[in-house]
Amino acid sequence: MAEVETEPPIVALEGVGKDYATGPEIVHALRGVDLRIGPGELVAVVGASGSGKSTLMNILGCLDRPTSGIYRLAGIEVTSRSSDERALVRNRLIGFVFQGFNLLPRATALENVELPLVYRRVALRERRRRAEQALASVGLADRAGHTPSQLSGGQQQRVAIARAIVTEPPLLLADEPTGNLDTKTSYEILAILQRLVFESGITLVIVTHERDVAECARRIVTVRDGHIASDEENAGFRDVRGGVTSP
Amino acid sequence: MTLLFTSIRLALAALFRAPLRSALTVLGILVGIAAVVVVIALGQGASGKVGGQIESLGSNVIYVFDQPVARSGARSALGASAGLTDEDAEAIRREAGSVSAVAVYSGTQVQAVTSFANGRTSAMGVDLSYFPVRDFELAAGRLWTPAEEQSKARVVLVGPSAAAKLFGAADPIGRSLRIGKHPFVVIGTLMPKGSSPFGEDQDDRLLMPIGAWRARISPQLGHRVHLIMASAKSFDRSDQAISEVDAILRQRHHIADGADADFVVRSQEQFRTIQERVLRVLSILLLSVAAVSLFVGGIGVMNIMLVTVAERRREIGIRMAVGAEPRDIELQFLIEALALTAVGGVAGLAVAATLVFGARYGFGWNMELGPGAILVAVSTSVMVGLLFGFLPARRAAQVEPMEALRHE
Repeated sequence: MAEVETEPPIVALEGVGKDYATGPEIVHALRGVDLRIGPGELVAVVGASGSGKSTLMNILGCLDRPTSGIYRLAGIEVTSRSSDERALVRNRLIGFVFQGFNLLPRATALENVELPLVYRRVALRERRRRAEQALASVGLADRAGHTPSQLSGGQQQRVAIARAIVTEPPLLLADEPTGNLDTKTSYEILAILQRLVFESGITLVIVTHERDVAECARRIVTVRDGHIASDEENAGFRDVRGGVTSP
Repeated sequence: MTLLFTSIRLALAALFRAPLRSALTVLGILVGIAAVVVVIALGQGASGKVGGQIESLGSNVIYVFDQPVARSGARSALGASAGLTDEDAEAIRREAGSVSAVAVYSGTQVQAVTSFANGRTSAMGVDLSYFPVRDFELAAGRLWTPAEEQSKARVVLVGPSAAAKLFGAADPIGRSLRIGKHPFVVIGTLMPKGSSPFGEDQDDRLLMPIGAWRARISPQLGHRVHLIMASAKSFDRSDQAISEVDAILRQRHHIADGADADFVVRSQEQFRTIQERVLRVLSILLLSVAAVSLFVGGIGVMNIMLVTVAERRREIGIRMAVGAEPRDIELQFLIEALALTAVGGVAGLAVAATLVFGARYGFGWNMELGPGAILVAVSTSVMVGLLFGFLPARRAAQVEPMEALRHE
């Protein structure tokens, strides 16, 4: 396992469960999940739809609360926090990249990247500087004034990545980040994400159901029926930073 | 601070993105605020001016109006209802112990011609007692003499507004003025008096001896007069004077106590009371309109904000996912509701200002649009915004980010 024992883990789940009440029935979306992810790891969470991987992602992202167990994020116990405090945790510790990009349609690329800094009460000038820097790091410095509708899917996802990293969070969560993209663009996005992990030391969790995407991670966690079925180092790891020649 | 500024910018942008929707939503607030401001303008104008205007009628003056009795009866058959006459005034002067002076007055609109201009003004026939009773003072020139009053001399005094209208910048004294085919000589000018509580410009008038007025302006009136004014000896004796005048006239007109008279006796105090009552009714009416429109307008704002929140769940989800706290979202939507009501408030203030100035210059009403009115307009719209924006903002803050984002 790639866990680094000397440093405290970024993610530490202990016996985490999540139940949903759908009418009279109770659905156990997650049951007794233990998971530790250390700093600088690149982890793929895979599983079929309905396996519980989305629920796991929501809990990891502090977007949802587990019904049982304990979740420590960068050493902070976040299970019992109020929604205001979880918002703060999201803002300080987590960057999100979604399948649907989730950019504000009327805001420019730069304004979208600035958004997390707005909620951190960063002053305008500083905000602008850091947002421009983040956009440049995903190769979009020249698209700062464009709105999402003027950008291609790959460019939109790069804006979303810039928005996720502009606060320099220790943990980056990517939920099907290539789900809406063609193969070539998908690998461009994965290359950017790999660079972030290997060159900036960020911790990245990619949730995906695509084998090709999972193979770009160092470690693959497989979720099935609400629990972790396997958690192993990826023997077939693909480094796509230099570009991909064959599909 | 930076967040507040961003929220305000966002709110205004959202407002102008759907201008028609915003305009319609704001309409109720506009009407409500306009009504509130007009009420305040009425109140301020009235409290500031009514007192002074009533004083401008003269001190402790009792007015007797002619009030023709429409229905046929013994009195009109006998020809007793001849209106108010010189003889009535004379009887009051002779018999009413609480009255110090009595004046008669008749007036009509005339077309006056001078070598400078040709204009419409009021021509009033009065006797010399009119000046002390009504507190009219000369600015320049002289009053007519008792002899001139007797001989129906064609002399006239002009008020400042009438002088400006008919003579421009020239000094009117000594110049001639023609009404119909009758020439008059201007012998004096009057001090400014302002408008009466009835909205009449008391400076736009020509005063002449009542005899001359009857002979040249309105010969068909005979010995009748439009109005008799009597000064009570003191303020305390006003009521006493009213009952004396009433009794004398009832006797002269052969009207039993308690029967409908063909005249009306009113004191200054009664004018004040009547005017205050009218003002109060008007204020209550306008405030009811204001309350209803602010309530309906507020519901409209709440409704549109709820729609907005529902439409923008995804945006809310994105903002929350990148770290907006529920209270940041709440603030943003509260400010949007406030922006709506503030626009309504400003528009309502503009409409009210138009009405107030229109009423002042069009009808000579006394209304004032002071800082108080503006303050109330602003604070009312803010209060309505907070009150009706609260629930939608609350709802926005309660959006579950993950659910909102999944909602494609």
